[in-house]
Amino acid sequence: MTAQAYDAPALDDLLWVADEVWHALLGEEEGLDRLDHPRDMSGGPVETVWSAGVSISGTWQGNVTVELGTTAAVALTARMLALGPGEAVADADLADAIGELVNMIGGNVKSLMPGPSMLSLPMVAAGRAAHSSDSVEALRFDAAWRGEPIRFSVHVPRS
Amino acid sequence: MKILIADDSRVMRQIVIRTLRQAGHGGHDIVEAENGRQALAMVATEAPDLVLSDWNMPEMNGIDCLSALRASGSQVPFGFVTSEGSEEMRARAASAGAAFLIAKPFTPEAFDDALRSVI
Repeated sequence: MTAQAYDAPALDDLLWVADEVWHALLGEEEGLDRLDHPRDMSGGPVETVWSAGVSISGTWQGNVTVELGTTAAVALTARMLALGPGEAVADADLADAIGELVNMIGGNVKSLMPGPSMLSLPMVAAGRAAHSSDSVEALRFDAAWRGEPIRFSVHVPRS
Repeated sequence: MKILIADDSRVMRQIVIRTLRQAGHGGHDIVEAENGRQALAMVATEAPDLVLSDWNMPEMNGIDCLSALRASGSQVPFGFVTSEGSEEMRARAASAGAAFLIAKPFTPEAFDDALRSVI
């Protein structure tokens, strides 16, 4: 986990938001385990990493990103759509599900920061999130769900 | 009762329908729209008794949809289900004529409370 030196939500607030979203989307019995030592998010030879992000622009500016592997993304999508065992998860549904996940977290981050500001529509891609050189990671925490790593981060303009 | 659910996310529309059921409102007819523009058209063609709409959508967002509805003379009860629950957003929703704003993440109890205010 990283603590911020920039104008960003408090780490505890981001943790709280992520927990609340997780429980609301997946059920009270599903929890995030916080990892003090981040796991490799680069993806192995068969495991693709998915990333989803929203940007907030206005009085406060920043980008909120979630990254997770295909195993976690497929399980999360199946859970959100209440799919039965063996039902296939389409890429479009997977992108929709993790886009909605980051939309919820981003919307709550926006509410925590000074306004007025605008929340973008979510962007989802297969691959690690790339951030421009004029932004800096202000906040990050690594977690695991069902043993699979998930990373939440907030990037802000470099001052 | 017919409820129009407007959200660009199919996953979220499914979650809203599931949450309505969990809140004890599973017996209603549900129609779905993928954005505000489609919702605006469907209010005319489907005559829903309630619109539950996301705020941030492509084509037309929820607040513009609500404004267009009111400008056209429609007084259909309209509530937001959105990830943005700040006081500023709640004030904008109320001044545009929304009956309520349910912030994501939400609970079945939040849906029940909100729907009871318009049913």
